Amino acid sequence: MASLREIQRSFAAALRDPAVTCAVLPPANLGVYRNNGAITFREALGQTFPVLRRRVGDDYFRQLSTHYRERFPSRSGDLHWAGRDFAAFLDDYLAGSEYQWLADLARVEWACAESLVAAERVSLGVDSLAGYSSVALERLAFGLQPSLRTLSSSFPVFSVWLTNQVDNAPPVDQSQGSEQGMIRIRHDSVEVRKLDRAAFSFICALAQGATLGEAMTAAALDARALTNVLAFLFAEGLVCSLTLKSA
Amino acid sequence: MTRLESRGVPLGPIPARAGIGLRSVHHDELPTQRPAVGFIEAHTENYFHEGGAAVHALLRARANYPLSLHGVGLGLGSADGVDREHLRRVKAAIARFDPALVSEHACWGHAGGEHFNDLLPLPYTDEAVELLARQVGEAQDFLGVQLLIENVSAYVAFEYSRLQEWEFLAAVASRSGCALLLDVNNVYVSSQNLGQDAARFIDSLPLGSVREIHVAGHARNGAVLIDDHGSQVCEPVWALYRRAIARFGAVPTLIEWDNNIPALEVLVAEARRADSILGEVRGLAA
Repeated sequence: MASLREIQRSFAAALRDPAVTCAVLPPANLGVYRNNGAITFREALGQTFPVLRRRVGDDYFRQLSTHYRERFPSRSGDLHWAGRDFAAFLDDYLAGSEYQWLADLARVEWACAESLVAAERVSLGVDSLAGYSSVALERLAFGLQPSLRTLSSSFPVFSVWLTNQVDNAPPVDQSQGSEQGMIRIRHDSVEVRKLDRAAFSFICALAQGATLGEAMTAAALDARALTNVLAFLFAEGLVCSLTLKSA
Repeated sequence: MTRLESRGVPLGPIPARAGIGLRSVHHDELPTQRPAVGFIEAHTENYFHEGGAAVHALLRARANYPLSLHGVGLGLGSADGVDREHLRRVKAAIARFDPALVSEHACWGHAGGEHFNDLLPLPYTDEAVELLARQVGEAQDFLGVQLLIENVSAYVAFEYSRLQEWEFLAAVASRSGCALLLDVNNVYVSSQNLGQDAARFIDSLPLGSVREIHVAGHARNGAVLIDDHGSQVCEPVWALYRRAIARFGAVPTLIEWDNNIPALEVLVAEARRADSILGEVRGLAA
């Protein structure tokens, strides 16, 4: 008699590939499990990438899910992260095609998925900057909301995401070119916003641990632009802590 | 002290009444309507994260209801072993949400590094008893709680099986000290798909082994019944449930509805029906 490990490996091989003969069970009986598995995986992927699914339609999404699962089978009993490699898969699967931008849309949606399960911290008001000299201000490092994600793309994928919050949205003109933006949650709802290039560079630098002075230099911000982006960060409740770095 | 009593830390009380699942479509209604159900159920794997709407909804619900935490991803019958990181996350969820009952399934879920995210069937062999009982026991030791192990719906039967399914489950419970979660709908689905005797299943499980019961709906796909938890409980399943309560006494009962989720009042109405059957049995026993 086959061992339990042999039985399960044979079963697994037949689940992966209908052309494989399962040594321990007739092929017809496996169809229910094969079908259940495909549906469960596809539904989990659809919940992570709802805008992409809406944009390409159910039939094409089913095709993408099937091919993605073949390349990147689930490695966990927790299906929430099954879509971790979906953007990388799309980069390869759609390379050279007019739909190559779908990969970056998937990146936006993956950032939304990560953001949606992050903690929300109490934020600081802009008055927390009071009392720092202008020299000290430049040495401040900012702790930002754990849900904050930033992303840039050579395609207008933020416009696509924002436009496709409803069914049958008109296509976004891809010649609009590159976009950059941020994703965060507020009161359990995800917010996606486009940012101008300078604000994006500044926020990315802060998120990576740069001080205000370092981020200002990296983003080539003048004083007025700095004032605007700081006002934005505090008004949006994105700043959770301030740490004075040594000179 | 029986083996069942010797395992783990006794969890908090959960009443022998009907409960409902906490589903995202009801996140806002549940705290405002506060239906009089005995407990709520949540799928463990949805609560591995630090934040998010699901976590916050469960924390709110826990203020008003006891919790039955039901896992689907451990694959305790997997010959390749149990995912330690997944176990750690289950332990963290138990610590955070303080469930009264914690359950998983008599199934396997992964082989050769690939997870199938399904409740895959085990042959009812001595080797499977030994492996499942050992891995359930180790999980209980790590988690610090007694687990309830649920019978799954079957679509296949292994020629290798030496035991009946109820003998298999009883052996696993006896060896590991786990309790059983009797899914009456799964008993029915398996009986229809494989020609098993559903009544004999109910009549043969050891007394005292069942600490929770599930009732659910199923779908038909040609000649096969599919355990899809997507509809009301059918009359044959209610009849099996009545048989189970008559045998095991009043046990916490979940209305398990995971797909095509209806309005909250529909779930509550199903819970009321289960409560009325529980009440009948209590009345007879009084």
